[in-house]
Amino acid sequence: MLELLALSFIAAVLSGGLCGAIGFHVHRLKITTLSFSVAHAALAGAAVGLILGLDPIYSAMGVAVISALILGFLLTRVKYGGELLSMTVFSVCSAIALFAIYLSNTQVLATSSISVILWGSLLAVTLQKLTILLLVTFTFILYILAYRVHIDSILYDKKLAEAEGLNIYNHTLAILFFAGMAIASTLKLTGGFLVFTLLYNPVAASFQLTKKAYLQLLYSSLLGSFSASSGLIASYFLDWPVGATIAILSSIILLLSFLMGELKKEEALKDILKKRNRINSV
Amino acid sequence: MGRCTAFPCTFRGETVKLKNVWVTYSGANLPAIQDITLTIPSKKLVLITGPNGAGKTTLLETCLGLLKAFKGEVFLFGINTKSRSVVNVRKLCGYVPQDFIKPPFESYTVKRVIQFGLAPYKSIFEQLTKEEEDLVQEVAEILDIKNLLAEPVGTLSGGQQQKVVIARALVRRPRALFLDEPFSSLDKESRKLVSNVLKGYVKEEKATALIVSHDTNPVINLADAVIEMKDGRIVETQGL
Ligand SMILES: Nc1ncnc2c1ncn2[C@@H]1O[C@H](COP(=O)(O)OP(=O)(O)OP(=O)(O)O)[C@@H](O)[C@H]1O
Ligand SMILES: [Mg+2]
Repeated sequence: MLELLALSFIAAVLSGGLCGAIGFHVHRLKITTLSFSVAHAALAGAAVGLILGLDPIYSAMGVAVISALILGFLLTRVKYGGELLSMTVFSVCSAIALFAIYLSNTQVLATSSISVILWGSLLAVTLQKLTILLLVTFTFILYILAYRVHIDSILYDKKLAEAEGLNIYNHTLAILFFAGMAIASTLKLTGGFLVFTLLYNPVAASFQLTKKAYLQLLYSSLLGSFSASSGLIASYFLDWPVGATIAILSSIILLLSFLMGELKKEEALKDILKKRNRINSV
Repeated sequence: MGRCTAFPCTFRGETVKLKNVWVTYSGANLPAIQDITLTIPSKKLVLITGPNGAGKTTLLETCLGLLKAFKGEVFLFGINTKSRSVVNVRKLCGYVPQDFIKPPFESYTVKRVIQFGLAPYKSIFEQLTKEEEDLVQEVAEILDIKNLLAEPVGTLSGGQQQKVVIARALVRRPRALFLDEPFSSLDKESRKLVSNVLKGYVKEEKATALIVSHDTNPVINLADAVIEMKDGRIVETQGL
């Protein structure tokens, strides 16, 4: 039991950090709706995988990555209306997921697995899956270090980067690929409905905490790691559903960062006023 | 500033060549530019003018292959912009877009943003060289934004931000500059400064500059040729 929990804990640290870092990129690329539909594609993939008797995480990974690549490819073709396209895919994927869940209800054995991919589970991580997660995290870190200037330039201004001769399609696809992998590997922990909290909350919080781009990326992945792992531990001791605990925790962190950001602003204002008073009195 | 050595090119012909080019935006009924045939020779400073909606921005973006012609052909440094190798010839170009203003929360610093101009010449894990670092400083100094290098771009004024994109284009030491209303947010002094810098650059580096400006004032004396557009067509050319 404790061994399993330890595996889950490491997985939470990794996938939370990965989701936080990817959330930063996805947010800056303005393809958040796209990752939303990829998450639901992963859910559909997991559900269909269960019915077909496959390991739901692997089928989720496959479907998530494929849908991310197809969507990314389509998005680069249709310059406008990408949001609508993503939302259509999102609806279709949700429908497929629900259909698959409905069908699997007739198979008694599958229902417990279904609840895992819907709501998340504390102890669903195996050594093999952890190894895959480690590999994905490692490749992602390598990728963003190797291409840091290229990626930053694209995150800053896609069109300008394209005009200057960067291959923006390859990088967008690469980021989407990692988003698909990250979402699929986080699926069992948080469940299909709450996986985005780890994609969006950490990056939103990091934007409150600092104005520096590289720190935003760092904070976003640290906060993602922290929310996922501490949520896991909390849910173990409180016996709460793990996905919901992580979601609530990361939302609290977001709220706190917002308050801290406001506090910082106020202090900066006070400083300016103080200085001005001093100048006036001289 | 020395010639761009980061990306050598042996092409000696025209910088841009358009043959009967039509461009329509998705969702629009009428083409934004119609049946444009045009050759931009090398080593010239060419001004494109015309009223709002004339198709100047569309033309510039079509030259770079950012917009695709639905009829006709566009060649940039001899490469058809529909081909995959357009990515390579874009490395010979500097671009200043018309919409360059970033929101207040934009967090990348001025220095970083100017350095982005050099990103396409970098292979994986490659860092900027000492000369490139110096060049960034030098260009910032020339454009009078050196004191802003450490600031986040979002905290700059419109004119200051415009100088940043111009600096980013220049730091690439491009063989061709594509500038879309590069003076729109600049004050009188800065307009003079920037137009002199551009003229000097074109002359010294034997580069081409394609400058879009509805207000011909700052550059008309510097231009070798003027193209006037209206309703998606070229209505007059001088000096080409
Ligand atoms: N994204 C778009 N979608 C549809 N139509 C567009 C789009 N952008 C421009 N147009 C249309 O194309 C025509 C040419 O626009 P363009 O931006 O090239 O003009 P311009 O000469 O650069 O004008 P300005 O001086 O205002 O910058 C206009 O009629 C405009 O309405
Ligand atoms: Mg324009």
